[in-house]
Amino acid sequence: MKKTVMISLLVGASLFATDYSKVITHPDASKMIEKDLLAPPKVYTMPSGCITNDPDAIARGEYIFHNLNGKKAKKNPPKGLSRRQMKPGVTYLPGQKIPFKQYGNCVACHNIENAKGAGNIGPDLTNYKENFVDSGARTHAFVYQKIADARIDNPDTHMTINLTTKLFTPREICDITSYIVSPK
Amino acid sequence: MKTGIKIALSVAMLASLSFGGEQFAMSDADRAMYAEMSENNPADIMVADGEELLGYMGGDEGLAKYLGVSEDDLPTYIAGFPRYIKKFDMVVGIDQMIQAMMADGGHKPLKLKSGNMFSLLAYVKSIANGEKINIDVNANPQMKEAYALGEKTFMTKRGGRGLSCNSCHSPDVVGRVLRTQPLPDLGANGAKAAATWPAYRMTKSSLRTMQRRFQGCMKNALLKVIPIGSKEMVALEVYLTDKAKGSEISIPGLKR
Ligand code: HEC
Ligand code: HEC
Repeated sequence: MKKTVMISLLVGASLFATDYSKVITHPDASKMIEKDLLAPPKVYTMPSGCITNDPDAIARGEYIFHNLNGKKAKKNPPKGLSRRQMKPGVTYLPGQKIPFKQYGNCVACHNIENAKGAGNIGPDLTNYKENFVDSGARTHAFVYQKIADARIDNPDTHMTINLTTKLFTPREICDITSYIVSPK
Repeated sequence: MKTGIKIALSVAMLASLSFGGEQFAMSDADRAMYAEMSENNPADIMVADGEELLGYMGGDEGLAKYLGVSEDDLPTYIAGFPRYIKKFDMVVGIDQMIQAMMADGGHKPLKLKSGNMFSLLAYVKSIANGEKINIDVNANPQMKEAYALGEKTFMTKRGGRGLSCNSCHSPDVVGRVLRTQPLPDLGANGAKAAATWPAYRMTKSSLRTMQRRFQGCMKNALLKVIPIGSKEMVALEVYLTDKAKGSEISIPGLKR
């Protein structure tokens, strides 16, 4: 504790009227929030060839589903996915650290096959192919749109928005969708 | 300081304690440590530090005088923060009020995010231990405005994943589990999150304030972290303190 500093600064009441807007810390956050706002809901068309049986694509989708980010992930990412990702428009010089890539952390809200510590804010996605796709309840395109921008299906959704925020690329949304609808 | 600082259990904490198994973030060892800490909150020392620091500015008596209330009325007055103070022409939290008091006393104000300020804030709020939160968000136009801004900030979806505070803290998800962590109730009847901060956070091994907790949620959920003391942060505190209105203040809290 800085007792000495406190005491040495004790010089009695100031003679001048205080400008409290200078004394009290009150930084402006409105611009930070404005730049950070979520764009309006957007409808997406599922690209052709999106859903695949390619084991590498499914492995990437699985990895994104179960992990939070490149720093926290225990196992190394599968082929075609990295732990770090450059921010668009930024030049990285040698020695400069490329930031960790963010993954989906879908397991925070959804249970699925082999999930560890799954949450229950969203529906259980176990046996999804059988229960939701083969039954005719859901199409691949629905799942793609749900992950890309869940607000189209439910304007008041609590789910994360993954394509409109540019968190992922369309290819990555395809990988995740392929994983969810794959036989497990 | 009032004797016998009560230990505040958050809703999340109680839920973590009452369920076992690996679905939850607290292990048996955590639970044992928690039981131990609820007997002896590590943050008591920081609260005592805060009392000592306030001593350099005249202690409780000096604070009451500065705020223009009697020492008897001080606890009730403290239980109404954040509040609009005409002299500052701002809605301020206890920490910002302390900054003004330091300046008026000829001290260089402590930074809002400094450990000493966290201790001071915790001590000053603990003066109101046992009092019920009595914030009045309709007291004046400034408080009304702060409440509205707080609600708006709470509902605003933003950041890398397009989430708002409400995504995880709306009444319809409370008690559900977000990756091993039961979602705490910040609002509905009898909820008292705002009555239990500042608190000792076991996972951070330190005393944290409510605005510091907001920052933690923002960082984890990829919302851009906004600074402590900003209008929006104070407004969030106003909004959530109003939700805990009537709850008994119990500082320092103890959190996972
Ligand atoms: C913060 C919580 C949360 C996170 C994180 C989350 N979801 Fe969801 N998800 C939900 C909720 C809630 C629903 C229910 C529908 C709604 O409200 O939009 C849902 C619905 C779904 C559905 C539709 C199920 C059906 O057929 O009805 C799919 C598929 C899905 N989520 C996949 C994902 C994927 C993939 C991720 C990660 C990239 C993810 N979710 C992350 C909360 C979440
Ligand atoms: C992605 C989910 C998520 C989002 C978004 C989120 N929180 Fe939280 N919050 C949590 C979880 C989970 C906890 C409890 C963590 C624990 O167990 O320690 C929590 C705890 C809290 C607490 C402490 C409650 C107590 O026990 O006293 C406060 C206060 C809080 N959040 C406020 C906010 C605010 C304000 C925002 C928005 C700026 C926000 N949260 C956004 C998930 C979230």
